[in-house]
Amino acid sequence: MIGIQLAGNLTQGLILGGVYGMATMGLSLIFGVLGVVNVGHGAFIMIGAFTTLLLFTQLGLSPIIAIPVALVIGMALGFFFYYTVIIRLTEAPELASLLATFAIGTLLEESVKFTIGTEFRGYNWDVGKISLHITTLPMSKIYAFVGSILIALLLYLWFSKTRAGTAVRAVMQDRKGAGVCGVNVNWIYALSFAIGIGLTVTSGVLLTMFIPVGINPYMGGAYTLKAFVIAVLGGLASPYGAFFGGLIFGLIENGTYTLFALVPSLEPFAMTRFLSFLILLLILLIKPTGLLRAK
Amino acid sequence: MLRVKDLESGYGPMQVLWKPSLQTKKGAITSLLGPNGVGKSTFLSTVFGSVKPWGGSIYYEEKDVTYMPTHKKVEMGLALVPEGKHLFPEMNVYENLVMGAYVKKASRHREESLALVYSLFPVLKERSGQLAGSLSGGEQQMVTVGRALMTKPQLIMLDEPSQGLAPLLVQEVFRTIQKMKEEIGLTVLLIEQNADASLSAADFVYIMHEGRIKAKGSPEEIKGSPEIREAYLGI
Repeated sequence: MIGIQLAGNLTQGLILGGVYGMATMGLSLIFGVLGVVNVGHGAFIMIGAFTTLLLFTQLGLSPIIAIPVALVIGMALGFFFYYTVIIRLTEAPELASLLATFAIGTLLEESVKFTIGTEFRGYNWDVGKISLHITTLPMSKIYAFVGSILIALLLYLWFSKTRAGTAVRAVMQDRKGAGVCGVNVNWIYALSFAIGIGLTVTSGVLLTMFIPVGINPYMGGAYTLKAFVIAVLGGLASPYGAFFGGLIFGLIENGTYTLFALVPSLEPFAMTRFLSFLILLLILLIKPTGLLRAK
Repeated sequence: MLRVKDLESGYGPMQVLWKPSLQTKKGAITSLLGPNGVGKSTFLSTVFGSVKPWGGSIYYEEKDVTYMPTHKKVEMGLALVPEGKHLFPEMNVYENLVMGAYVKKASRHREESLALVYSLFPVLKERSGQLAGSLSGGEQQMVTVGRALMTKPQLIMLDEPSQGLAPLLVQEVFRTIQKMKEEIGLTVLLIEQNADASLSAADFVYIMHEGRIKAKGSPEEIKGSPEIREAYLGI
């Protein structure tokens, strides 16, 4: 019985993990290229969640349509915040960029609070479900998972096959070396930041496809924390590492949920956040370069 | 070809360059000599554009490029072999070299440039699939020079190419620089502390001290002046 429950939860965990992974790739990309830690990460996920919600409830558009819309909104926000704020901070001490991205996050949260309000919202997108022997999966979750994998794959292809993607890799590995090759490093910064934010806002769509409730201006905080844990798992500066870090994190989170549920008088859901911190602490103590980093 | 006049720059509040002027002659090796910390690297970085000039002017092929961004200078045929190599450690030798042909003009000549680099450094062809981070210091230096050649330059600026190399490799580096001039027809601006080697390689020499040009002349003139040698070169 426990075996089936665990297998079911692990399946859910793998799927959620794929979405988590995709939700962290933007953070890793921005850190890897610009060396900026985006503390406002979760706020951009929240923007994606609201994009989905509003398109669905106001215009009756499916969350699948929200994916490209969120990507465009995210990239536009990314370019906007890059040229207004981040461009001044790439050479500045870390504290400056931490404060600035925190401020951007707060600005977004408060703007949404001001225009839409703080109550928890949700939507109901019913596209059927499939029953496996071990668990029942709504199709929306499967779409979210497939969407995450497709986007991760596209990013991988963009990185490895295109001229701009190659330039981004070069800047990540040696900024000065890239400059010597004639790469316009400032443009690569702007593009990476925009793509990073675009991915993050898009991941907000996929996350609501998985969890279509609890949408409110402050929902991002929990995801910021998880994204940091996942990014550290995956080696912080590596978007692919982040994706696999997400898969592992989803498995751990859901797997331990089953185990915590076995302990009487323990509230398993509350324990998952404790677990996030524990994992972060352990990795930083044992292998601060990340579990998946080759070196 | 390159004409620098009264260049001023520095870092934060600290001025490093105090109006040095320098010219390179087409198809010749010009050397900027001086001990560590006199501003030679800052001079190159300012000419290349990675450090912003505070004043003065930089002309390249009769065009004012003083405030032109680096990537445009590369497109115009200006190449830099930076100090400290700055290779892409997680790319292999081939990918590092191809990255040098990134700008549009260079990418059109990618295959011939690659053939040229492999003929200059045959060992790089053997190592082409190996990660740049796993090469020896000398081989990494070859990749750095090769990558600069891949940008299809007319003027190549080398920042202390012999630094940290064994004497035998230093000879090799200077032989390569001669070849760049004689076989490829490049103009070379060479920055060095190694006075002996660069005096014998260069066609014209500038001597820098505390951010200023203190002397200039043919290598013979410099060698023939005991005051210059003693005051600035210590030989």
